Amino acid sequence: MALYKINVNGKEKSVEAVPDMPLLWVLRDLLDLTGSKFGCGIGACGACTVLVDGVSQQSCQIPVSSLGTKKVTTIEGLSKDGKHPLQKAWIEHDVPQCGYCQAGQIMAAAALLKKNPHPTDAELDDALGLNICRCGTYQRIRDAVKAAAAGATK
Amino acid sequence: MSDRKELTRRNFIQLVGGVGASLALGSFASLACADVALKTPTAGTGASFAPNVFVKVDPDGKVTVTIICPDAGQGSRTALAMLVAEELDVDWHNVAVVQAPANQAVYGRQGIGGSNTVRSMFGELRRVGATTRMMLVAAAAKNWKVDASTLKTSSGHVLSADGKKSVAYGALTAVAATMPVPTSDIVLKKPEDFKIIGKPRTRIDNPDVVTGKAQYGLDVKIPGMVYAVIARPPAFGATLKSFDDTAAKAVPGVLQVIQVPSGVAVVGSNTWAAISGRKALKIDWDMGPNTDLDSAKITAQLVAAVGPHKEMPEGAKTIEATFDFPYLSHATMEPMNAVADVHDDHCTLWSGTQQPTGAVGQVAGLLKLPQEKVTLNVTLLGGGFGRRLSNEYIIDAVNVSKAIKKPVKVVWTREDDMKHDNYRPAGHSALKGAVDASGSPVGWSHQTITAGRGGAGSYGNPDLSYNIPGAGMRQGGVRIPVPTGAWRSVEHTLQSVANECFMDELAHAAGKDPFEFRKGLLTNERLKHCLVTAAEKAGWGTPLPAGHGRGIACFEGYGSYAAHVIELSVENGQIKLHRAVCVVDCGIAVNPTGVEAQMQGACTDGLATALSAAITIRNGSVVENNWSNFLWMRLDGMPKVEVHIIPSAEAPGGMGEPGYPSVPPAVANALFAATGKRVRKFPIKLDELV
Repeated sequence: MALYKINVNGKEKSVEAVPDMPLLWVLRDLLDLTGSKFGCGIGACGACTVLVDGVSQQSCQIPVSSLGTKKVTTIEGLSKDGKHPLQKAWIEHDVPQCGYCQAGQIMAAAALLKKNPHPTDAELDDALGLNICRCGTYQRIRDAVKAAAAGATK
Repeated sequence: MSDRKELTRRNFIQLVGGVGASLALGSFASLACADVALKTPTAGTGASFAPNVFVKVDPDGKVTVTIICPDAGQGSRTALAMLVAEELDVDWHNVAVVQAPANQAVYGRQGIGGSNTVRSMFGELRRVGATTRMMLVAAAAKNWKVDASTLKTSSGHVLSADGKKSVAYGALTAVAATMPVPTSDIVLKKPEDFKIIGKPRTRIDNPDVVTGKAQYGLDVKIPGMVYAVIARPPAFGATLKSFDDTAAKAVPGVLQVIQVPSGVAVVGSNTWAAISGRKALKIDWDMGPNTDLDSAKITAQLVAAVGPHKEMPEGAKTIEATFDFPYLSHATMEPMNAVADVHDDHCTLWSGTQQPTGAVGQVAGLLKLPQEKVTLNVTLLGGGFGRRLSNEYIIDAVNVSKAIKKPVKVVWTREDDMKHDNYRPAGHSALKGAVDASGSPVGWSHQTITAGRGGAGSYGNPDLSYNIPGAGMRQGGVRIPVPTGAWRSVEHTLQSVANECFMDELAHAAGKDPFEFRKGLLTNERLKHCLVTAAEKAGWGTPLPAGHGRGIACFEGYGSYAAHVIELSVENGQIKLHRAVCVVDCGIAVNPTGVEAQMQGACTDGLATALSAAITIRNGSVVENNWSNFLWMRLDGMPKVEVHIIPSAEAPGGMGEPGYPSVPPAVANALFAATGKRVRKFPIKLDELV
């Protein structure tokens, strides 16, 4: 066990963990940030997607010891008031069904729009291609990301 | 509030006209939330008005609806609240929901399955809203000293006949609570007067979902809680011989290692510690009697159980086909889990289950406690699809908590979840049909043999929507030691898929267009309308680019009707999906955006299971263990999905399941249109077409 200082949602947090504990479990079990979901544990489903220095990453694949001073953003820190254009678009387009995968979907979309504010369909498919939605909300995910990119949310 | 009249369970059932009986649909499982009781709950706080267990009106006008059905993504928390809000005549933005814990004494049997949530409660929850509204009206009438029948309501207010006087519901709560509960002359709105039902309402949990606040079972944390994962038998029928926990206990954070009925539980101070401890565990298993079992042998047993087909008319042209189906995992996004806090005289549980009251009964039996000493708090479900009808993950948590005398969260990893599911059974369908010289079908014989349901079966109801003389189906089964259960659309994932694939082949044998052939034989006008609409919307018969094909199929069941057209092509040895046209007639679409979502989801399931998803058995165990080899649709493989809802004033039908069964055959039939080759096996592989 070792003490790690990590930057999550703009705040420095101290956690005591084994070096190989994935960021996902640090967030969920040690920091009570349960918005990032456990879906596979092998980086194959995207449910645990967070931003690390603004880039979309699977938090189940990041050992806490590798984080250093990198800045982690989770769904809880995506916006102060839940009004990120993607969050608004997700509500307006009624994307969630069970909702379990949606934090990961939104974070992957947020990373995409940050580097590419007006993605093509192919770029959108590519950026969110890892994220599984078992309920099959894909059509609305597409619609919502496009609406957010177009600035079409209320 | 002392003179508030109580409705007993019996007169409530009279009130709702006897719809409280649970529905038996002949599926693996059929559940309803319908078996409910309307009775006086504990008194509300302050001057809130809570005339029954479902609804509370606060002095500030806020309305809270208690949802007794779990929400697994089907949208029950939204649609059920809409029913109450409609008849109560309040503005939707003033409505909130609370999830009821399991409580059979108060709510009756709570469970979701068989696409029953909305249709089973459509009458009752509207009556709940109407009854509550009548008491508020009676309160205003008393205050104003007028006849209640002269008053109207609108947007959470009671209005005088001339509209000059208006009082908010919130100002009436104290008086309304003294009014008798009406038991007769409960008038429900006419569909043309609906303001909420039939108007799309986005999911009530969306703001919590998109900010990460929504709580699923896996997100529950209670004081003093520890975490556990369980090492489970590596083959069906394997049993524990012994284990060495020395290395596991040396893993930082591992607290205890104990034997439980389902395997060996590793308890840790966090989930990762438990997972890491399990990796270090050394277990000696007796591999049991099934280590030779594999998918090929199972298929061979299913094929061997096919019996003689029904006789076909002499002189008719006959065709035959068979279809193989694999086992399927439910693979909900949220793996199985539960939190349990077991004490000597009571037990508290947190879990997302499709069967809350069933779980309480199981746990009470296990712990030898009265049911009222078992509390189950129902969280959101990260997907259900039938998987959470069984509660073994709750039993796991109870067993571990009981043994360690601490609250514990048992987590199934994805590997645990996929290798220890209650699978959609593998199946083999054999069909034979006949057409006469004019191209009319004159014979139909269908046998579907499933793995896991025993029984020889004799020819009976063909479960067929077409008028074909002498048609019959035989449902056989072979007992295989692989656990099975209900999976979205249950038996229709096999037999209805086979029906619609074969119907296409029969159309071809008759020399007829598969859409026109079906249309001419459908007996139900609602289903026919869905089929015709799907064909129209998809441009059936209009030219397609070279190499493209369209396939059509339809389904009726769970009180609803559906049809699909899929357009695809084969490019560079790969199937490319272009367009999915989905049509549904579900009667009154209580929440159209929810209906559309169910159709989109069922379509996705249909595409995934048609093209890629399969569970394979090898050495008595499941080969697939994660999303990397249980291949599901992802965004980049999805076609454009269009949903068309047929307007209807009929009573609501089910929506969870009806959108699935016609998707895989529409894919198979489109592939025939594109390639001239037929599907004999799911999931479809191009090199296995015939």
